[in-house]
Amino acid sequence: MEEDFELLAKFKKGNQQAFESLVRKYKMAVFNTIYSIIGDAQEADDIAQEVFLKVYTKAGSFKRKSSFPTWLYRITVNRCVDELRKRKNKIISLETEFDQDEKLKLKDVLASKEGDITEELRRKELEDIIQKAMNSLPERDRIILTLKEMEGLSYKEISQIMKISIAKVKVWLFRARQKLKGKLSFLYPQE
Amino acid sequence: MSCKKFRILLSAYLDQEITKDKEKKLLNHLKTCADCARELEYLKQVKRIFILKGKREPQEFFETRLFERIKNKGKQPIWRAYFPVFKRSIVVILIFFSLILGWVSYKKFFYHRTIEIMPYLLIGIDSEENFEEEILQAYYAPPG
Repeated sequence: MEEDFELLAKFKKGNQQAFESLVRKYKMAVFNTIYSIIGDAQEADDIAQEVFLKVYTKAGSFKRKSSFPTWLYRITVNRCVDELRKRKNKIISLETEFDQDEKLKLKDVLASKEGDITEELRRKELEDIIQKAMNSLPERDRIILTLKEMEGLSYKEISQIMKISIAKVKVWLFRARQKLKGKLSFLYPQE
Repeated sequence: MSCKKFRILLSAYLDQEITKDKEKKLLNHLKTCADCARELEYLKQVKRIFILKGKREPQEFFETRLFERIKNKGKQPIWRAYFPVFKRSIVVILIFFSLILGWVSYKKFFYHRTIEIMPYLLIGIDSEENFEEEILQAYYAPPG
């Protein structure tokens, strides 16, 4: 965390390489957060650029009330929310339903041991299937699942990013997982 | 504690965001409740899916494209950078002047209108009084 503050302080004094270091450090996290929420890789790339552009222009307003990653994630999530709301108006929808082939692939992979997936093509297919499941969830559930499952943030960090209480994080996360479980009900034996 | 509350704890338990005391209660409950134990397995599957999902790389030359964008942003005309602020300011100024204009018009209209009709109001009173006097004079005037 101190390293981030130092880099930011250097950047504020005009050191462009410090900013470049921050971009290199966080571009994967920012890109994957956006991709997981938005569901489109090309758009995620554009939006990630916009996020860093905002960091570049607004670095002066960062007051160290939270950590730099928390601030960065907050900008990222807000930008994703804006994008999803724009989409609602444009009625853009992504594929969300699984076909039989995809269901079998996912079942097959989950049944195998962890670490068995070595083929790049198979991994890519699996990512697409899982992203489809995420695309079918409401905005709030996508965000909270992304921050917890993809980025591994703590409940406290998520509560700071989303500006909600930790109790709400617990409940919203539980509900999001229940909904995702519902989408993946074909994985579970019929009760 | 009901199963419903334990289910929410399952989610926090998986994330290791639970107190030792609640963890103990939950583990005791799981020993006796098959439904909650099954639910925990399902949630573990969901968690595993995200591990399998993995992470993607952004498109090539991300930093290069970003710095190009930053350079181009610096080149835009100053008016373009301030245009959103300018638009908002124009709207605020227009609203302000509309209010001023409205107030001035209101004052002017009612003031002049009052001045216009005031004499008629006064004449009205006078003519009533005059009318009564005339009637009295007419009534009591000597014949001829």
